[in-house]
This record gives sequence, C-alpha cells and structure tokens, in this order.
Amino acid sequence: MSPSELSNAVIHHEDDNVAIAIRPMRAGQMVVVNAREAVKAAQDVEVGHKIALSAIASGGKVYRYGEPIIEATEAIEAGVWVHVHNTQPIPGDVTA
Amino acid sequence: MTFLGYQRESGAVGVRNHLLVLSSVSCANGVVEAIGRELPGTVAVTQGYGCGFGPEDFRISHRTLSGLINNPNVGAALVIGLGCEVLKSEFLIREAQGKPVEDLVIQESGGSQATTEKGLAIARKLQQELEAVERVPVPVSELVVGLQCGGSDALSGVTANPAVGAVADRFVGAGATVILPETTEMIGTAHILKRRGATPEIGEQIEALVNKHHAFVQEQLGALAGMVIAPGNVEGGLSSITEKSLGAITKGGTTPLQEVIEYGTRPRERGLVIMDTPGYDIDSMAGLAAGGAQIMLFTTGRGSVAGFPVVPVVKISSNSRTFQKMPGDMDVNAGEVVDEGLTIDEMGRRIFDLALEVAAGRQTCAEHNRSAPFNYLKQGPSF
Repeated sequence: MSPSELSNAVIHHEDDNVAIAIRPMRAGQMVVVNAREAVKAAQDVEVGHKIALSAIASGGKVYRYGEPIIEATEAIEAGVWVHVHNTQPIPGDVTA
Repeated sequence: MTFLGYQRESGAVGVRNHLLVLSSVSCANGVVEAIGRELPGTVAVTQGYGCGFGPEDFRISHRTLSGLINNPNVGAALVIGLGCEVLKSEFLIREAQGKPVEDLVIQESGGSQATTEKGLAIARKLQQELEAVERVPVPVSELVVGLQCGGSDALSGVTANPAVGAVADRFVGAGATVILPETTEMIGTAHILKRRGATPEIGEQIEALVNKHHAFVQEQLGALAGMVIAPGNVEGGLSSITEKSLGAITKGGTTPLQEVIEYGTRPRERGLVIMDTPGYDIDSMAGLAAGGAQIMLFTTGRGSVAGFPVVPVVKISSNSRTFQKMPGDMDVNAGEVVDEGLTIDEMGRRIFDLALEVAAGRQTCAEHNRSAPFNYLKQGPSF
C-alpha cells in the first residue's frame, strides 16, 4: 500500500490538537497521518477542514501550526469536526 | 554551499544576467517596447507611473525603479525617459551601483524613432559586454529569496505554504536571506509574530506594523474589511483570520524574524526578514525585486500564472488539479503531499533543490512563457 492510500490528514506541528483532512473523511473512518492512525472521525469532514485529535474542553484553545487559532465554545470530543460552529476567535485576536 | 551564478562588482550575486530596458515614465513606454521587439534577448519593462504624483509616491517609485536596476540579476541597464517627467531617467541611473547603465531622453534625442535607433545601438553594445560575463561558483548565502502567494485555496496552508516554510528554513540555515512580504496577509497574527522577533524591539516593530495595516484596511475598506477572511475561506475550512494568516506566514518557516523593512528596500540583516508590501502580487513582487531578491517562490491554489521581469519565479501549486489543468504554468506540484503521500519536509527538499537549479540557470515556467507583469506600489492620487 502506498502512503497516499494510507494518509488522509496532516498535522503541521507537534503541539497541534487538530489534524487537517487532505481527503474527504467519512464518519467512522480512521484519521491517518504519516501512515499512523490518529483518531476515528466522528462525522464526515471535508478537505481542508479540522478534526480534533484529542478532547478539547469548552474554552480550550485549538492549536494549528503550533499556535492557538480559535477557542472551543463547547466541549469537543476527539474525532469531531472543529470549525466556526463549535469555536470562536480568541478574544483579543483580530476579528476584522 | 555554492551554485553557479554571476559575481557582481558590488559583491552581490546574480542568478540571471539580464539587460534591462526600462522607462522612467509611462510616456516613454513606446520606445522601450520598440527596443524590446527588436532585441528579444533584453528585458523590456514598461510602467504606468513616473509623473503626476506626490512626494511619497515619488520616493516609492524612485527607490523601486532604482532597486530594480540594482537587482543583482540585472547585468546592465538602459533607461528611457521623456524629458518633462517628475521621475527623470538621470535620477535612476545615478543610483546604479557597479554595473553599466545608460539613459536616453526622448525630447533631447530626436523623438521616438531616433531614440529607438540610439537605444538599439546602446543595447547591442551592452549585450556584447554581458555576453563576456560567465557563471562562477558563488555562495548560496548571497541569495535573497522572495516569498509570495496568490490565488490561494483550501490546500495552500496545508501543502504549498508549509513546504515553502521548510525551504525558507533551509535557505536561512545556509546563511541566505528570505523575505516574507504581504503585510495584509499577516492581520490577526501580530501577537504571534511579535514573539518571533529576534529581539523584543524587532517583535514590537512587527506588531506595530501589522496593527497599522489592520487599521488601514479597516479605514479603507470599511464594512468590506471582513473580506480579509472571505466566505470561500470559511467554506474551505478556515475558522478565523488568525488561522488564515498563519497559513500564509507559514511560508516564512520557523526561524526568528531578524528585521522589518520598508517596501522596496534592501535587507540589512541575513535570515528571515519581513517586508511591508501589499497583498497584490505584482506590486509585492516589485518590492521584493527592488529589495534585491534574485529568486522568488510563489505558491498558488487557483493557479496564478504571473512571473516577474528579471527575477525567476518558481510557481508552486497547492493541489494536483490546478497543476494538471494548467500544464506549463506550474513548476512544482505540492499537491503530491496529498496524492503521493510526500511529507512536507520531502516536498520542501524538492523545492529547495529546484530553486538552486533555477539559480544556476534552469528556466522556470513563467520565464518560458515570458509571463512578466510589472507594476509597483502607489498610494496617493494622480495629479
């Protein structure tokens, strides 16, 4: 099996608690990064979107590129799609 | 680490040996174009400004065009002026360092046709001088690498930009200079970039610059300022401006920020530096070239085809679809991170190796296509 058949997500930085889907992800499918199974997808996730690698408490920070990018507005389980519906910009960061 | 390049008298190193034919004002463009048609080996650069502007735009145009002439990829230059313009050709050739540069003024040279004939004679003579210059081994540490992105998509911050970040780290590791431009694309990351400054002072300068730009965008665009993160960005998976901007600045890699420089000015420090340029690719690339960038790495998702005069631009597609649907426009397919399972580091190594080949003379797609739009920053009104 080639790596392309194995990996369906990438992680940018070791501190990140989300992976980015590089292939459309179906609920129940394993999220695989660098040929390693990371977590089971709890729902369908589109390419470019984020999946929690571990549980994030309400108010907890979401890390991508090793930096906090948003914070959870509700408790997020591992494998759950992370986006504007369950997070918000971090107060003090710019919101345009 | 070395590559075969052109050693200039000034100490700088060129990756190309171009004869630049440049107009000092748009009114002189016809003569520049005529010379370019007759001598396709020259790089004929026309422009839209040069007169009827205020003092700040005069300063920007003066240093941008002087910087273009002084770019190490330019072996010699011929500047064509009209005569009555604000930005005279003599102001530009006066700034030239360690290379043959001449000028002609149309109003004093017998008009367009006579100036074209005289210009052709000068250009042929300069071309002969340039042909005598040969590539020699030069250090990679003399390279100034400009970064750029345009026409981003959902994968830009996943494949192409992180891969270019790995390239930036490699160039900095080799002692070279890397310029991260596009201040507009940094909005939302002022607090993060501040921490990346090599000193607290540099960190504060970066923070102030990004915040100033943010205020400027809000003032100029008003209710449209939110377009900095467009609905398409959110559909693509980006949840905040901070996340979007991080995806852009990841091109700069992970090394400390050594300096913040003004548009079109030369870095004084080596390593990673920030240049204050607009997000508009063509204006931004002109700032990079005037700052001495001999090569540029340009990431794109939708498929920007723009190169730049006198500087080879390596086009890096974030996805395989764009790479395949525009054959001959993209030099690198970073979509292989998705489709072939390459790691970001492997893709970074591939782009680094290609960049060194391009530095040593390999033609980029944009060079082959002669895709070299030119424009530069202008902030005030025309008078």
